[in-house]
Parts: sequence; C-alpha cells; structure tokens
Amino acid sequence: MSLFSAIGISASGMDAQRTRAELITENLANADTTRTPEGGPYRRKDAVFTSAPAEQSFAQALSDFSGYPAQGVSVSQVVVDDSEPERRYLPGHPDADPDGYVAFPKINPAEEMVDLMSASRGYQANVAAISTAKDMIARSMDLFK
Amino acid sequence: MHLAHTAPLDLGRFMSYLSARQEVVSSNIANADTPGYKTQDIETEFSAAFAEARDAIVEVPGLSSKNDGNNVSIDREARLLAENTVRFNLAAQLMRGRIKDIRSAISEGHS
Repeated sequence: MSLFSAIGISASGMDAQRTRAELITENLANADTTRTPEGGPYRRKDAVFTSAPAEQSFAQALSDFSGYPAQGVSVSQVVVDDSEPERRYLPGHPDADPDGYVAFPKINPAEEMVDLMSASRGYQANVAAISTAKDMIARSMDLFK
Repeated sequence: MHLAHTAPLDLGRFMSYLSARQEVVSSNIANADTPGYKTQDIETEFSAAFAEARDAIVEVPGLSSKNDGNNVSIDREARLLAENTVRFNLAAQLMRGRIKDIRSAISEGHS
C-alpha cells in the first residue's frame, strides 16, 4: 500500500467515469438515430461499475503495507437497453412502418444530462484525490531538502 | 540510541498509516457509483494508528445507503482527504525537523 497505489485507484475511478460520460454523450448524440448497423433504432447504453482489486506492480504486491487489497473500480459491462422503442407518427419518414410509425430510441435527454453531471462530479472527486496524494508525495520529497 | 526514534511518536509509522488511509479513501471515491459497495476505513483509534495498521480495515457503520446498496458519502470522503493532507503535512514537517537535528549532529552543529 502506498501513495502511488492510491493514485492508481483514483485513476481507475477517472477511467470508469470517463467511460460512463462517453456512453452518455453517445446516447445524447444518437437520441434521434433510427438506423444502426444492427438494424432498428439506436439503443441506450449504460456502464456497469464493479469494484476490482487495483492493479499493482509486482514490487508493490511484495512489499504490501497490509494484506488489504485496495479496491479500484472498472466498467465490467456495457448494458444495452432493450426496452421497446418509442413510436412516433411520421408517415413521410423513410423508416416508417406501413402504419406510418417510426421507431425512435427511448432516450430522455434530461435523464442523460443528470447522469452526465454525476459522471463529471465523480471524475472531479477522483482528480481531487489524486492531487492530495500528489501533495503528500511532494511533502515526503521535501524531507530530502 | 537512534535519534530518529527517541521522540514519543513514531512519525514514520504514522505517515505509513496516513498513506494507507489515503488509499482507502481513494478507493471509496473511485467506487462512489459502484452498486453494493460499502464505505471502508482503517481503524481510527488513536492507538491503532501507531500500532500495526495491518488488517484493521473496517466497514464504516452509520452511513445511509442509496437504492443500489452503495453507501459512499462524497462529503465524508472529501473531508477525510483534506484531514489526511493536513495530518501528513504536519507529520512531514515534524520529520523534517528531526532530520535537521540529525544533520546538525553529523556536522557537529556547524550547519
């Protein structure tokens, strides 16, 4: 356990939150997409976070301060929302079915924005943790002066 | 007699404890959005800080859980981050003074 592994843990948090933010922006960008390579409208994606033992170098694992495996976080899965798409009546649309309805992604922009804010705040919190760890390391290095 | 160990506080161990704590707090922050994750901490008893911090990881009681079973409070973690830095800076400052004393002894008081 060291301050460097604390930085590693926060980095895993930043990575996970950034992945989530990427998926959210993808959802927002595709809020009106009716065609995808898989066919049908775009489907909302979301990241599933799982706590995972932080990556450790061999040396770190050997000289561990305590037997505690510090938990980082990782995106274990990207879930695709398979609920029914929203149907809008647009008879002139090239993707309209015989009844004149077009299947649109079921994406609520307000919900996505709130998730995006939460991802951004989570990212900031991890950055704050890294900068305090860096501060502590800098203080330790001051000891040599 | 080791000069660095004569003071009542074992600063080196205290700094190790603070680094370990920093890691636990980072872990809590990284997992602030992980479903089912429970806030963890190192035993905060004053004596435990100076004794072996080994295996003293505990779940923090009394925090309210969100719907997904996660009970990380970002405010608590932010406070701990700030506290940890202040404590570490203090310990580093004291350690510096101690090292200065040793240096002074090595140079027979001429520094």
